[in-house]
Formats: sequence, structure tokens, C-alpha cells
Amino acid sequence: MAPENDLTAEILRNALCVAAEEASIVVVRSAYSTFIVEGADAAAAILDADGRLVAHSLSTALIQCASLRSALPHVLKAHPAAAMRPGDVFVLNDVYQGGIHANDLLVFRPVFVDGAPAYFTGTLIHVADLSGLSAGGMASDATDVYLEGLQLPPVRVATAAGLVDDLVRVLAANSRTPDKLVGDLRALIAGANVAARRLEEIIAEHTPAGLARGVAGYLAHTERRMRAGLAALPAGTHRGEYTLDDGHTVRVAVTADGAGALVVDFDGTDEQVPLPVNSGFSQTHGGVMYAVRCFVDPDLPMNEGCFAPVEVRMPPGTLVHCTPPFPGGGRFGTVAAAEEAIFAALTEAGGGVAASGILQAFSISGARRPWLHMSFDLGGTGARADHDGADATGALFGGGRNIIPQAEPIEARLPVRVEEVALIPGSGGAGRHRGGLGTRTVIRMLEDARVDTRGDRLHRPPPGAAGGAPGRAGGYHRQRADGTREPLGSKATRQPLAVGEALVVETSGGGGYGDPADRDPAAVRRDRAEGRTA
Amino acid sequence: MSATADGTADGAPDVTEGNASGVTLASDVGGTFTDVVLIGTDGQVRVAKTLTTPDDPTTGLLRGVEQVLASSGVAPGEVGRFVHATTLATNVILERTGVPVAFVTTEGFGSMLALGRQARVEEERYDLAYEQPDPPVPHTHTFTVPERVAADGQVLAPLDETAAARVADDIAALRVAAVAICLLHSYVNPEHEERLAAIIRARLPESVPVVTSASVWPELGEYERATTTLMSAYVGPVMASYLDRLGGRLRDLGVTAPVHVMESAGGVLPAALAAARAVYTIESGPAAGVIAAARQGARRGLADLISFDMGGTTAKAGLVRGGRPGVTHEFQVGGKGSFGGRRPGTGVPIKIPAIDLAEVGSGGGSIAWVDAGTLRVGPRSAGADPGPACYGRGGELPTVTDANLVLGYLDPDGFGELRLSPERAEAAIAEHVAGPLGVPVVEAAAAVHDIANAQMGAAIHVVTVRRGIDPRGFTLVALGGAAPTHVVRLAERFGIGRVLVPPQAGVGSAVGLLHADLAIERARTFLAPVGELVSCSVGRDRLGELADVLADLERAALVDLAVDRAEVSRSVGIRFTGQAHAFTVELPAGPITPGVVRGAAEEFYKRYHESYGIDLRDPAELTTARVRAVLPSGSRDTPRAEPAPDVAGARRVWLDGAFREVPVRARGGIAPGETLTGPCVLTEPQCSLLVPPGWRGTADDHGALLLESGTWPQKTT
Repeated sequence: MAPENDLTAEILRNALCVAAEEASIVVVRSAYSTFIVEGADAAAAILDADGRLVAHSLSTALIQCASLRSALPHVLKAHPAAAMRPGDVFVLNDVYQGGIHANDLLVFRPVFVDGAPAYFTGTLIHVADLSGLSAGGMASDATDVYLEGLQLPPVRVATAAGLVDDLVRVLAANSRTPDKLVGDLRALIAGANVAARRLEEIIAEHTPAGLARGVAGYLAHTERRMRAGLAALPAGTHRGEYTLDDGHTVRVAVTADGAGALVVDFDGTDEQVPLPVNSGFSQTHGGVMYAVRCFVDPDLPMNEGCFAPVEVRMPPGTLVHCTPPFPGGGRFGTVAAAEEAIFAALTEAGGGVAASGILQAFSISGARRPWLHMSFDLGGTGARADHDGADATGALFGGGRNIIPQAEPIEARLPVRVEEVALIPGSGGAGRHRGGLGTRTVIRMLEDARVDTRGDRLHRPPPGAAGGAPGRAGGYHRQRADGTREPLGSKATRQPLAVGEALVVETSGGGGYGDPADRDPAAVRRDRAEGRTA
Repeated sequence: MSATADGTADGAPDVTEGNASGVTLASDVGGTFTDVVLIGTDGQVRVAKTLTTPDDPTTGLLRGVEQVLASSGVAPGEVGRFVHATTLATNVILERTGVPVAFVTTEGFGSMLALGRQARVEEERYDLAYEQPDPPVPHTHTFTVPERVAADGQVLAPLDETAAARVADDIAALRVAAVAICLLHSYVNPEHEERLAAIIRARLPESVPVVTSASVWPELGEYERATTTLMSAYVGPVMASYLDRLGGRLRDLGVTAPVHVMESAGGVLPAALAAARAVYTIESGPAAGVIAAARQGARRGLADLISFDMGGTTAKAGLVRGGRPGVTHEFQVGGKGSFGGRRPGTGVPIKIPAIDLAEVGSGGGSIAWVDAGTLRVGPRSAGADPGPACYGRGGELPTVTDANLVLGYLDPDGFGELRLSPERAEAAIAEHVAGPLGVPVVEAAAAVHDIANAQMGAAIHVVTVRRGIDPRGFTLVALGGAAPTHVVRLAERFGIGRVLVPPQAGVGSAVGLLHADLAIERARTFLAPVGELVSCSVGRDRLGELADVLADLERAALVDLAVDRAEVSRSVGIRFTGQAHAFTVELPAGPITPGVVRGAAEEFYKRYHESYGIDLRDPAELTTARVRAVLPSGSRDTPRAEPAPDVAGARRVWLDGAFREVPVRARGGIAPGETLTGPCVLTEPQCSLLVPPGWRGTADDHGALLLESGTWPQKTT
């Protein structure tokens, strides 16, 4: 028979996770951006007043929750807890204060115990549009942060009396799709409110002291398990690096003490660049947590207990920690490079890992009237020492494929037609184990439009490991009405696509592992029968 | 009987529910036992429990029907209705024993099933060892045809009939047993799907069903529509041939009543429809248990319940809050999170409404074994054949049932047609558990019982604790042959202080079927802005369209049920224009007027505000038209217990580390209002109720027992 307090603690833990999950669902259901509502990608988290991550929503990309965690201390710095009032809601997007880039809005709401903020609920989505060079916030020629969009330090966006109308008017005035932007903002606030309401119910049921005790126990228990997992890593300093398409390199040294502590140091990483290639510290930190967690028990809950044993050193002014006024919007290439570098460091004894194709973003916007389709496709993952890579999944971003909208809802909403979404035969790198396949998506314009692209691992496709071949390089193309194709570039900005022309997005395949000559003949035959090889 | 692609019932006999006020037969085929119950014109319930015959489940079922007809003295021709719950569809999908299926979609989308939506769950996305699951249909069985329909239904490219014929020939060469078709935007214009189905059908044997997505789930979202259609095609032929055989054998016996099959949301379908839309029966059996629990609870004024249904092979738990069973609208086949799997993003989605429940592959027949010095129970089950050792039917391995017999919880005179052998049970436990572990037999048996309780607990855990719901305020309801033996111990594990044991608990799911309403839901995507529908200039046409769609759906639903009239409720999905999630709002009866649409929009605004705290009056749009047709079951009264002579006795029962002599009573002999005090054992033909020390119970005039712990009510914090 389970001891009574164990059961209570477990109910409490689950109630916290359910509250975060519910907040995420509320945001998705009440948001307006197609990208969010059909792709179901909203992050939500519960934190305490010390900025510790207590629980987060599971259905979303993990590194977003790390950004919520990184940003909260900056909110508290700008708005001391003593100055907060029940009903206050804060918003920010500042990449130097834990944000990501202009379009990713982070919203926080304090939850009061005995008259003071004791917990915070937070939500985060990529909103439709918030100014900047290109609609959707994807301009790859934004040489500084101001060209990425409107900058928001932590500011109060709502009080118990409702929205702060003056601020909302400024936001709306800076959006190409003001109605959708305000709708998305309301959705973020609704999500934070719902989680706050659940938290208040939990406090009422378990008492403030009971909740505090439960949270402390939960985080401590997670930390013990995390340390036990990290203690199994080979002691010593391990080095790894990964080079982006433009030649810039992320370098990392991972030092394990063999007793459960880890230092991840990006000293030696190339300097930041005046283009949206860099990452803000919060997204890099999220990527580090993702990569490190691949080496511990995958069932561990994601909370402060996972963060505590890992010290992350991100030298300011480098690719992994941009400083003013360097932009941070193109961070996923850099974050994915940081992740691969950590994989390389921690697997150096075992022959390394084959690299994966990554998320390749694009946005299509109306040339004559405001409409926006922002989405991304996913590359194949690298093969592993004992199995083939997975086809087209968002491994390094910590998400899955369901962040990609289906064709029918896109066509029901926007003046485009999706003509093809297909795996590319032969795109997985050859090896004893084959890399996962990339995809091809063809989207035909029904109105004149402009397109922005943002990809990486296209000029330097994901390398294989232990003798495996790299995956096939993907790319972005314009397909003319007569069928001819021309490359658009991996960081194209506002390229015209006339009615009748199509955008072709091809993602890179994952690298192979081991000598292709050693591949099991049965696997070779199966690949051919299933159309995985040409 | 054949499964037709448009989902209509062909050859279904006339259903005249008036007859149902006569005799109703209900049966629930589980992995180990087949339960058959009969309710007569006098409201008396008769019960038969037979061993399931896995090779042909109709054999055990027919034996039960014969027994129950004989014991009640009812002639086969007097039976007005036969209601059936079967785990066939679930088993077929979980064990991947469905028929080979070919899948056809629009050119350009041949990777649809392989790509899926794959919302990787938490523990999988960290995992460098993640391996992608195989797609539900191999690439070699996936075909595409040139054709294209736009989102507004307009044909952009006609169906290439030459290519379609070539695909049909290729499919014919594969010798598949079913074909699933999902073309883009068929939910708004199904012409291409229907034409393609006709072309393919013409080249295949008549026995091969060709199922179109618009007939199964005509809603926007190509991937979920495809997988739902696919699973229907995969299971349909197996279900059709089974129901065909069942109908034939019932007729041979003289039972000519229509056969109804329980669907996952708690209604029942005519047999022909159950075959054509087989995915709707996926949770057929388990749903019956939750419905029964809700009904039993309602009679005692209990609205918050956990149904606990434990049979020989599996156990299920479902949650009833405020009197209503939880319903999900997406079921994950092969998913994680529980046996059967429901966690979003962990399997192949099927878009059907289903009673929300958790299942563990462990029951009375689960085999106990020692694995490197550790005692394990399951997941292998002795099932009905050879069955537990104590059945003496050739089973040599010890099961949970054997342990319960050794502990004195079960009556050796057994269940129904079986006598149980304590000697065989002891011998099996001694050889396979106690010996290897070096412990006395009774202690080994007690450990097996405890481990089984822990496994049952996992199912309850999933529907309560895992969702942050405290189970301690709920009443646990015991259903199924093995449940009464474990239910109170299980309650103790969670600190639950109240347990309800309905009359005929051992066949509880089958009893639940007696009261299931004949029901079907039909829906279709209907996209239209509210503003357009209520404006006087353009609204008339679109309003007329909505009225036509609803009328079509209603007609189709009545054809599904093979009736002329039914209780029809109509509803629409409404959302803010630009959002994805819609609320379902009921429409009043009568003509569809601008006022009706305006009223629905007002209701939507109100519910949106309540749900999200956002008071918004932005433009809204209709997304779906939906019709549910219900023919209420004739039998309204909850059955009374069969009167039985009270055989008071005593037996040595293992309780908390020692054998104690405890009173044994026949369940049927408990008088209404009588109070019982634990420890005691109550036996009835299908099960045995263990009331441990510290619990007391009272019987009501229908024979339901409400047990309460001595510490109840307790504080939960």
C-alpha cells in the first residue's frame, strides 16, 4: 500500500504538469496564427518566484521552455515582485533578456500567496507578425536586432482591469496582421491565466506550505536522478565542434566530474555575426539541455532538477550568446550545431554520431494583401551505431513532425496549393546504417507572393560518422510555371513568387553510420522495395 | 453481409424497438470468459458465464445463449434484441491480425502515412536510440492517382481514369483483402473518391471492401482521415465475417432478433453498420463497463466514480465525473501510455469518439512466474485455453486465479460451469513460484495477489493520479469476474473509502449492454462564416445548404440505424474565423433560420469566455454539421438480483499475514438494508467478493452493495 504522502506528492506533481499542458492547449486553441493553430506548437511553463522551472508542457519544442526559464529573472529585475499586483501580466521578446527574437512573445503572470508573487505561469508562441524587414519575422538580411522587429523589454501588458490598451495599440500598429497579432497575444494571456487559475486551485487544496514542500521534493528528486545519470558519463573533458553553412564554428568542451556535475563550455566558439545566425543565451541553454538529456534517463521530467547540475558557459559576443545589437532570430542553425558538438564530445570514444538534417523554415506572404504562411520542414536524423536514422523528424529542436500543418487546412485558409509532400528517395546518407530521409514540399502560389527562407546544413550537408556518407543536401527553389527550377538560396529574403509559380523546399537527409559496404543485404533490398533508395 | 463503402447498412433487418420491451439478450466476449445476460419482460435478469472459445468466439457465445434461454424458460423467438460487445476490433489492431490493406491517395502525397504527424512524446525525443515505427501500410501497398479537388470542392484536375484502372490492376495483383481511399478535400467533394472506388471495386472480388474516407470520417485533415479510413478497412472484413457467422448461428438457434454492436462512445450500432464502420467498435467491450458503472452510481446518487473492470485477460479503469463518462475524440492505435494506448502522438490516430479509459494486460488468468529470482505476474495469460491450473483443463502454470483460490478468496465450487481444484492450484504455485523463491505456498500466493493489485492500480493511476486527479474522493465500482476479489484491496492502495459492487458484478459489462441505446453519429465538414449565414442578402442559399446537409446527415443516420424515426439531436461546430479548435453547440429542433445560427453563435461566445477567460466577439464560422440519432433502449429499469438461498458458512481465508476463519455468505441471500461487516466473503455464481477487516457494507433493494471503510470519510490532505 502506497504511503499516503507519496500519493499526495504524486498527485501534486501531475497536477502541476497538467496545468502547464492545459495552458499550452488553451493557447493553441485560442491563437490565430495558422502556424500555431494547425501546427499545435505553444510552450507553457510553471516557475517559482526564484525562477526555477517547476513544470512545462510536453507537447511543444523543449528549448522554448528553457527560454521561459531564462527570461523570468529579467522580468523580476525590471519589475520587482513587491511592485506586482494580482492580475498583472508581463510580456517580452528581448533576445538579450531571455527572449528569442521579435516574433516569439513570452508572457508571464504572477500567482500570489499571502500577498506576494510565489509562482509564475508563462506561455510562449511565435506570433503572426511584429514588424521587421519581412512579414513573419524571417528576414535573413536583418543585420541588427532592430531590423528583426519591434523590441519589447519586459513590460506590463495587462492588469486586473484588463489589457493595457496603449501598449496593445502600439503592438497592433507595428504588425502587418494586427488582428492576428492581438488574437495571439490574447491567447498567450489566456493560457497564462488558465495555468494561474489551476495553480490557485492547487494552492487551495494542498495549502501554500504543502505546495512548496511538494515542489521542493519534486525538484530535489529530479535532480538526484539527473545527477545519477550524469555520473555515468566518462569523467574528464571531451571536445566537439560543428561548422555551420557559412563556415562559422561552434566549439564546446564538456567536462564531467564523474560524480554527477557537468560543465558545458563554449569557449573558442566563433564570434557573433551581423546576420540572424547567432543564438541568444536562452535558446543555446535549451539546446544544451536537450543534448545532455539524450545521455540520461529519457523518462526524467524536465524541471529545475535537470538544469541544476549542468553549468553552461556561453561567452558573450559569440555565436551562442549574442549581445546588442546582433540579431538572434536565425538561432536554430547555431543551436543545432551546439547540440551536434555536444553529441560529438560525449561520443568521441564510440566513433561519434552522424549529424542530422535540421528544421528548415520558410515564410510566404502576400505581395498585394496581407496574408502569411509561416512553416518549416524537417530533415532526416543521422544514423546511429545500431540503427537507421528517422525520416523527417524534428529531433534537434526537441519537437516532432506534428508541428507541421497538414495540406488541407493550409489550403482552406490561404491562397496556396500544396502539390507534393514526399520523402526524397536516396536522401539518407549511406552507411552500415542509413541516415533518415529528407522531404520535398511543393507549394504553388494562387496569388503573387514573397518568400523568405532560413535553412542550414544545405551547403555542408549533415556528415556521416565512422565511415558513413553525408546525407543529401536539401535546398529551396523557385519552380516556374513551365516547370523549370532555380535555386532560391538558403537564406533568401523577400524573393518574389508570381501567381502560378511554386516554392520547393527540400530538407537534408541525415548522415550515415559505418561503411556502406557493411550494410545488411536484406536492409538494402528493403530500402529499394520501400522506395527509400532510388 | 458486406461492408459497403458508403457506410450504409445493406440487408439489415427492420429494427422495431417496440420489441425491445420484450426480451433482450446481451453478451460480452472477453479474453477468458463470455458473459451472456437476459432480461425478461418481468425485469428479471438471468446470467450465464462460459469460457471464451478463441478459435471461434461464437461457439462459447452460443453455448451461453442456450444456457440462459434454458434457465429462464424463454423461447428463442421471443428475443427482441441481441446486444453485443466484442473486443475483436481492438484485438485485431493491437495484435496486427487485420487483413492486408492497400491505400490510395492523391498524387504527390504517397508519403502521407510514412510521414505521419509523429508528435514525439517526451521520453522519445531525447532518445538517441529512437527508432521510427513502421508506417501502418508498407510503401509497396501505397498508390497514388492523378486528380485534384480544391478546398472549396471545385475539381481542379479530373480523376485520371486510365491511371486509376492501372492502380486497380496493381492492387488486384497484390491480393489484398481491403482497400482504403483518402483523396484530398474529399470531405467537401467525394466524387473522385466514389468514382475511384467504383473503378477499383470493378477489378476486385466482391468480398474485398473498398472504403472511402468521406464515408468514414468526412472531415478536414488528410492524415487523420486517412488513418481512420485505413483502420476501418483493416478491421472491417474481420468484423463482417465474424458478425455474419454470429447472425447465422443465432438464426440456427431460432433467435431472429437484430444484432446490435456496442460502439466506443457508449451507443450501439446495427451489425451491418458495425462491420462497415468497424473502427467505431474499437472500445466496444470496455465502454460497456464504464456505462454500467455510471448507471449504477447514478442509482445510489454517486456521480464521481472509477469503474474497475477486471476479467481474465485484461483490466480497465474509466473515470466518471459528475455522472458522465469522459469521452475522447482521438484514439491512438499502438500508442503508449497504457495497454491499447491513448497518449497523443504515440501511435496511429483514429478519429472516433470513445469512452476514455486505461487498460492493463493483466487479469485473473495472468500467469505468475519467477524471473531471475524476482516474482512476475503476466503479461502472458492462460486465457480460456488451457486456463488457470485450478480449472483442470490442462493448464499447468499458476495464475492470479490460482493464488486467489489458495488464499481462500474463491469458492472451490466455482463459477458457472466450472469447479475449481485447490490441489492443482497449490501444486502449480508450489512448483513454479514458491519452490524457486524458497517460500511457503501461501506466502507465494499472497505475493501474486499483491502484485496483481499493483498492476490493476496502474490502470487506475492512469485515469486519476497521472492527470492530477485525487482518486480518494471517488467511488470504485467493481465489474467483471475477477474484480470483486481485488476491488477493496485496490481501494485501500489509493485511500479510496467507498466501493460499489453492483448486482451481477461478475457480468457487469454485459448487464450494462442491456441498457445501451441504439445510436449513431454522422458529421460532415461545413465551412461557412456566421455573418454570411445570418445576412439577409446572401444568407438564404447558405442557410439552405446547411439545412440540406443536416437533413442529409439525419437521413443517413436513420438509414444507418435502419429505422424511420429516432430522437435526433443536431449540432454544429463553431470557432472564431482563423482559429482551428471548434466548440460543439446544439441546435434547437425546427427549421434552420438566421435566428438559430445567431443563437448558436451567442452560445459559442459564452462558452469561449467560460473556457478561456477571453470575452471576444470576433467573427465566427461554422466548421461541422453533426447529427446524432438515438433510439432509447426499451429496458429502463436496473435489474434486481436473482434471489438465491442464503448458505451461511465459514472458510479459512488469508488476511494480512495469517489464515482466519471468516463467514461466507451467498450474495443473493443478503436482504435489502442488511449491514455486513468485514472480514467476510460473499459468493455468487460468477464471482467472489472479499470484504477485508475494517470495511462494512449495506445492500440496497436492487442488490447493489455499497462498502465503506471504517476510516471513511477521511481527510484527503
